[in-house]
Amino acid sequence: MRAAAPDARLKATLQAFYESWAVKRENCFRGLDFEALRETLAEIKDDAIARQDTLLARFEEQARRHGSLVLRAKDGDEANRMVLEVLERHGAKKVVKSKSMVSEETRLNAYLAGRGVEPRETDLGEWIVQLAGASPTHMVMPAIHMTRQGVARVFSENLGRPMAEDIPALVRVAREELRREILAAPVGLTGANALIAENGSIMVVTNEGNGRLVSSAPAVHIVLASTEKVVPSTADALLLLKMLTKSATGQPISSYVSFIAGPPRAEQTIILLDNHRSELRADAKFREVLRCIKCSACLNVCPVYQVVGGERFSHVYMGGIGSLLTAWIHGLEESKELAGLCMGCHRCDAVCSTKIPIADLVVALKERLARETGKKLWKRLALDGVMGHPAAHRGTFLAARAVRPILQKKGFARSLPSWMARYDRFRALPAPAPRPLSGLFRKEKRKWRKAASPVKVRVTLFPGCLIQHVYPEVGLAAARVLARLGYDVVLGPTTCCGFPPWNSGHAGAARRAFLYVLNRTKRDGPIVTLCPTCTNMLAQAGPDLVQGGRGGSSRPHHPPGPGAADVRDFAGRVVTFSQFLARNEAEALKRLMPEGRPARTATYHDSCHHKHVLKASEESRNLVRLALGRDLVEMTGPSACCGFAGAFSVDHPEVAEALLADRLAAVEATGAELVALDCPGCLLQIRGGAARAGRKADVRHTAEVLEAALRGDEPPRLRKKRSSGRSPLSG
Amino acid sequence: MVTPGLVDRFVEGALAAGAEVFRAPDARGAIAAAARLFRDGKISRIVGPPALRREAEGTGLVLEAADGIAVIAAAEAALVRADYGAAETGSLVRLDPGDDEKLAWTLPPLCVCLLDGRKVVADLQSLAGVLADHLGRTGVPGPQVSFITGPSRTADIECQLTIGVQGPARLVIWLIEGEGS
Repeated sequence: MRAAAPDARLKATLQAFYESWAVKRENCFRGLDFEALRETLAEIKDDAIARQDTLLARFEEQARRHGSLVLRAKDGDEANRMVLEVLERHGAKKVVKSKSMVSEETRLNAYLAGRGVEPRETDLGEWIVQLAGASPTHMVMPAIHMTRQGVARVFSENLGRPMAEDIPALVRVAREELRREILAAPVGLTGANALIAENGSIMVVTNEGNGRLVSSAPAVHIVLASTEKVVPSTADALLLLKMLTKSATGQPISSYVSFIAGPPRAEQTIILLDNHRSELRADAKFREVLRCIKCSACLNVCPVYQVVGGERFSHVYMGGIGSLLTAWIHGLEESKELAGLCMGCHRCDAVCSTKIPIADLVVALKERLARETGKKLWKRLALDGVMGHPAAHRGTFLAARAVRPILQKKGFARSLPSWMARYDRFRALPAPAPRPLSGLFRKEKRKWRKAASPVKVRVTLFPGCLIQHVYPEVGLAAARVLARLGYDVVLGPTTCCGFPPWNSGHAGAARRAFLYVLNRTKRDGPIVTLCPTCTNMLAQAGPDLVQGGRGGSSRPHHPPGPGAADVRDFAGRVVTFSQFLARNEAEALKRLMPEGRPARTATYHDSCHHKHVLKASEESRNLVRLALGRDLVEMTGPSACCGFAGAFSVDHPEVAEALLADRLAAVEATGAELVALDCPGCLLQIRGGAARAGRKADVRHTAEVLEAALRGDEPPRLRKKRSSGRSPLSG
Repeated sequence: MVTPGLVDRFVEGALAAGAEVFRAPDARGAIAAAARLFRDGKISRIVGPPALRREAEGTGLVLEAADGIAVIAAAEAALVRADYGAAETGSLVRLDPGDDEKLAWTLPPLCVCLLDGRKVVADLQSLAGVLADHLGRTGVPGPQVSFITGPSRTADIECQLTIGVQGPARLVIWLIEGEGS
């Protein structure tokens, strides 16, 4: 099914929320060691998950001592029945609810409504979406997709009187209506942010105070909480609280936090819901998902969520973490679209309160999905058939080069036919280069042999598919810089690293591609890549894949892969070009930079893997500053992702288009003449987008910027002569 | 003894959370100041717990007993006392005895709270032992602990911060700095 174009207003709202949240969150964590805090919380949660049976038994025992009734529900239906039984026992026809994602998970409202009980949400956002007949689109801000006009319309239709489109006035209406409902209700239902085993208390966190009212005003209190909420002690719950509110809303703490031990009034029933969490807990690879404290930080930073929102990117739970929870709670099939919307940018990993490796786990989920629910035809052809088979990969590009004369126009591919226009209307796709890097490299190397340059050490240059076949000038530039610095540069395998199939869950093809590279790479010296994503694949994902680590296949491998020591040695030698230079050659480069070289205004685009996985953005920036002899003009804006993400931009071109538009606008706002970056995928996307939009943006890989600077020149103009420019060796 | 650094940090945190903070030399002075606040605001229906009702005698401030939800819901203000303050977040901490007083903190539109400056601690974590002890007690209603930080708030419509959605729109803290010292 073809997705609709993203809603521009929704995107603007989500991006504005993100920008405000990011600043507040940063302020909250200032002076605190976020990494140490989340490491500690992750350890507490891991321990609690490991000892869950004991801790839940302790919680039950303590809660019963306080006079609470504790029930265990196997699944959502059973939990709903338990809630209904309590309501029926008290003859209650209405229940007021504080925000509870678990009750969304069990579809409690629909269940109760179908049995003559009126559930009333009391969190303002939840109430709005309930009145609108919709579902929450954000775990913390349920009605984030709605405008004040929409809210006024919903209130007016449901309350039968006209409403001003004024936020304070709408909030006053909510206060009056909800207050009346809460005070009249016989039963209140809340979730729990933590279940504290040592004293049988629950922790409830709200900003509005409705959790406090719903639990304290009605005579009967029902707690509906999932089992992984249990923590050993009050001190553990306090640490969780410390992380939760800062990550969720960027507040040091929410306005109201209640610890409730036993019935606040006459009676309290605590329903502990499993709903397949035991199966998740038993899964060694995925159990880390249970560390999630539902802070939504991952959602806030997600570029895709910022474009499509929670109406599309959710099945009760949202975003990448939502896909993982959904796979277990609501079934593998239900998680398929969510997992497909994760582009694997790893922004979520950096902010997760409990250090869940969300992006890698989503890849592992994709692998399971591909295995158990089938693969798309185009991916079977492109990823399994071409990228997973080096010979087919070479043959495909050979064929593409053969038809280049009719395929290309001004260096780009001709536009796709109208029925495929959604894939290239926002970016001109590149044509294959007339000659691949491997051919140009051989010719170039003959020149270097003539130059009298002392050889330091052998460096294997791994170009990756795009550099080999589309942007060979980048590979040549990198080779020239390395040679100028005295390295003996050899070209490694020119096939796919395996990342595109890996990121789509095609583990078999990814493994074949990775092993091909591993087996055909020299056994000594650094392996320098020109793409952070290739580095991620060769140094981490590939080794995990063949050794069964995180994100790897959960199936046994046939035939057995190389020895662990070989894989470790290979992985340890892989490094991205700019990191390699920044760490080893910064001083040498400084000495070699000629005076009077052109100093154009430049900005730097952070590629997702470069920034969020390799954390090498600053190293690259420093190299570009060094090359240009001046500072960079930084881009501002929300997600900062260009929207390429390999197969993602084919699966979701409308999202890729929206992200690219933001990036191009950010580039333009800097007024920079040059955009430097380190990822050939981003190069394809931004250069192609700029060309399609008719914008003048010289988009260059850091290698090209450095090579030109060493020559005291600018990078050669595009499309004149792809391999033109004197070698720095000859200068 | 009041620790000045902690108290200043508490004030800073509470103000940042949207509370109003004033300082008083002793409880009687704070109650008298609260009485003026209520009088100036023409607020007459004020609920308070038994201990504060006794302390208010002779100050001209008359507090209704916080007995029953209807009385508390009809009140225009509440005068309450916190057990601790947490400097890091500007939070008030109440070890709830398990009666209707908890609702007095939440239902009226104005909540005025007294806090002994000597009870301000660095952060909520330093109260973990106290909280665990309190929550370990038994009895019906069960023991509760509340952290209150600023007034009730929401940003659920267009992410615009709006105060007083369910609980008080104003939280006024009288920090008692000289009491007993």
